[in-house]
Amino acid sequence: MATPTHTLRPLACWKSILRHTRHQKVATRSLTTYHQNVTYSKFELPPPGAKPQGPKKIKVYPAPAFPPANTKEPLKALCADQIALLDPTGARTSLFSKTNPEAAKVGDILLVRLKGGDPFAGVCINIRRRGVDTGILLRNQLTRVGVEMWYKIYSPNVEGIEVVQRREKRARRARLTYMRKPKHDMGSVQNLVLAYQRSRSGLRGSGQKEEGLKGGKKKSVRGKKH
Amino acid sequence: MIQLKTMLNCIDNSGAAIVECVNVMKMKRHAKIGDRIIVVVQKQRNFGPESGPGASVSTSAANKVRRGDIRHAVVVRTAKKLQRPDGSVVKFDDNACVLINKAGEPIGTRLNGVVGTELRKMKWSKILSLAPMHL
Repeated sequence: MATPTHTLRPLACWKSILRHTRHQKVATRSLTTYHQNVTYSKFELPPPGAKPQGPKKIKVYPAPAFPPANTKEPLKALCADQIALLDPTGARTSLFSKTNPEAAKVGDILLVRLKGGDPFAGVCINIRRRGVDTGILLRNQLTRVGVEMWYKIYSPNVEGIEVVQRREKRARRARLTYMRKPKHDMGSVQNLVLAYQRSRSGLRGSGQKEEGLKGGKKKSVRGKKH
Repeated sequence: MIQLKTMLNCIDNSGAAIVECVNVMKMKRHAKIGDRIIVVVQKQRNFGPESGPGASVSTSAANKVRRGDIRHAVVVRTAKKLQRPDGSVVKFDDNACVLINKAGEPIGTRLNGVVGTELRKMKWSKILSLAPMHL
């Protein structure tokens, strides 16, 4: 702490320095230096001065190879996996594939058999192709009220999808939403479906011995149609 | 999507033909299948098709509600798509309801027309048993 006066009286600075130390000494005396080593931790701490034990061994995994093998398109692979799981025979995939000339198309009358509940039949007016989420929109009239149902074709609830009647001419639209209009509405397809079911049950009654299993039933029906 | 001012078909034989929604109960949203609404009868059903041999029955049934009556109703069909838990979606061509009293029993004795299966989930089994078909 230099004062401007020390140029005139060089020894005068000692006075202020001594005063400063005296103040410090008073401050130091009032400081408590009492210390007891009390630990509030539940775990025992190492005693002060103990050597720190070596770093804990942590298992280190090597980084995965990048890009991972066989997953150029991981979502596509996942989708294919799920379809293989939900449709092991591939029948459902081929029934709605674009390349299959015998596939169901918009305008066809389809019958969806469900695991729990009545089957639903209707004109297919839209096919939404999205891999495992692929769905079909069926329209019908029940008790003179138009009803539309979306079904996922790979849904475990859907037991089977059958083509009741094909459209004579290929539809020139991908979505036949105009069939909602009264001018184009097909009305109820219930009688067509009933006739189809009757004829099929007749076939099944005669050909049950050779077919036997449940799986063969669908195949034979579809084989006949193709 | 039934909300204020929506006109619905009434598909029971209570005598109402077209009703207008004035309130959706217990909700601040639009009503779906199985939801309870309050309606005003806008148009009475004419006794044309039923005024044959059982005319007395049909007229007495038709007199149960009149034009301008405020009644409770249950939505049984919606033109709005409704997705089911299994991923299938159902959509009807019209909005329809069934009139009920305040205790929840249907006013009419028979229904004509398909109704949604969601009624079972919402505990409207009496209406489901009256319906000729449910989907």
